[in-house]
Amino acid sequence: MYPLAEQVGASRIVKAVKIPHPCGDPTLPPELDAQVRRVIVETALKAIQTEVSRTTVFFPAMAMSG
Amino acid sequence: MLTIVHVINQFFAGFGGEDKADMPVGVSEGALGAARGLQAQLGEQAKVAATIYYGDNYFHGHPEEARDAILREVRFRKPQVVVVGPAFNAGRYGLSCVEICNAIANDLEIPCVTAMHPENPAVATYRDYHNLKIFLLPTTETAAGMSDALAALARFVSRLGSGVTIRSAREEGYLDRGIRRMERADRPGVERAIDMLLSDLRDEPFFTEVPLEIWDQVSPAPPLRGLSSATIAIVSTSGVVPWGNPDGFKTYRNTYWRKYSIASLKTMEPGQWEAVHGGYDVSFMNQNPRYGVPLDALRALEAGGIIGRIYPFFYVVPGNQGSPSVMRQIGQEIAADLKKDGVDGVLQVAT
Repeated sequence: MYPLAEQVGASRIVKAVKIPHPCGDPTLPPELDAQVRRVIVETALKAIQTEVSRTTVFFPAMAMSG
Repeated sequence: MLTIVHVINQFFAGFGGEDKADMPVGVSEGALGAARGLQAQLGEQAKVAATIYYGDNYFHGHPEEARDAILREVRFRKPQVVVVGPAFNAGRYGLSCVEICNAIANDLEIPCVTAMHPENPAVATYRDYHNLKIFLLPTTETAAGMSDALAALARFVSRLGSGVTIRSAREEGYLDRGIRRMERADRPGVERAIDMLLSDLRDEPFFTEVPLEIWDQVSPAPPLRGLSSATIAIVSTSGVVPWGNPDGFKTYRNTYWRKYSIASLKTMEPGQWEAVHGGYDVSFMNQNPRYGVPLDALRALEAGGIIGRIYPFFYVVPGNQGSPSVMRQIGQEIAADLKKDGVDGVLQVAT
C-alpha cells in the first residue's frame, strides 16, 4: 500500500508486509513472525527520528514475502 | 415567470454585521438587501417572491429551529428554484448555505443554487452531500465580486427553471459534486485517451475525464529527539476494535474515531478484538490483531528502555472509502488529542 501513501504525501512511510497483515507474516512460525513485527516497528521508530524533507519510504532490513 | 426565493444572512439582508449575527430567521416580501441585486439580474425571467434571512451565529447555534423555519417559509412560497448566498470566503455562512440547500433539496425537492469561493471549507461538505439538486457556483474571495456572483446565479436560475437537464459541472460552470453519470460518448475511450495523450505531449490543453483529488501538502514533522524518554502512540486504520464492535463502526466510510485502552495489556490477544473493515480480507487480522496493532513489539522496546512509554490507548478509525474531507477532520481531532496528552511520536498502521 505504500505507493498510495506516497501519492497522498505521507512524510515517513515504512514498507510493511502485506495489506491484510502489515505488521507480520502468517506464513512464518510465531517466533519469526514476532521478529518481523519487531523489525518493522523498529524501522518505524528509526523513521520518526530521521530528518525528511519530503515523502520518504523506509524499507525494513530483511527478506519478506509478497 | 419563475418564482424564486432568496435566502441570505443578516449582513447581506442589511441588518448589520457580527452585532446582529444572533438574529433568528425572518422573512420579507419581495427582494430585500442583496436580493434586490439578484432581482435586477433576473429581470423578467423570475420574481423574487420573498427574501429569507437569518443570523450566521443563530443558524449554527440553533440548527433545527433555523432549518425548520426556513423550510416552512420556502414551502409556503412554492418557488421553482431557491438561491442561497453567495457566501464568498465566509466559512460559517458558506456552511449554512450548503446545509440550507441540502435541507430544501431533500425535504421539498426544490433545486437550489448557491455560490462561494472554491476554497471555502463548505465546498467539501457540498461535495460530500452528492446531491443532484444542489449546485454551487464559484465566486471571488470577497464581496467585491457580488454583481458577477449574482449574474451567474441569475443565469443558473433561468437554466434550472427552464426544465432543461443540467449537464456536467465543466459545461455548466458549477463546482463538481463527485457524481458520475453514465453517458454515451461520441468515440470509444481508446480514441479519447490517445487524443488526450497527444495533446499532453504537444503541450496543448486537454481536459481529463476523471480529475484526481489534489492532496494537501503537509510539511514533515521534525525528527523526534530523545526516544528513550518519549511517549509513543499507535493509530490504526486496520479496523481492529474490541470484540463486539461496541462503537458500531461501519466497514466503510466511517465518520468518527475512538480510542481504546491498552494500559494493562502486553499484547493484542486474538478473541478480544475483531477487525471491522470492508477493504481487505480481515481473516488474518481477526486471527492475529497484532498485525494491525503491534503492541507486543512496542512493549518489548518499552521494557528495554528503547522508548520511554507507550501511550495507554490506541486510536482507531477503520479505513476503506473514507471521505478525504472527513478523514482530514478526524486526523486533526486525533492530533489535538495526542498533543493534549503529551504524545511525542505516533506509529500509524494502515492496511
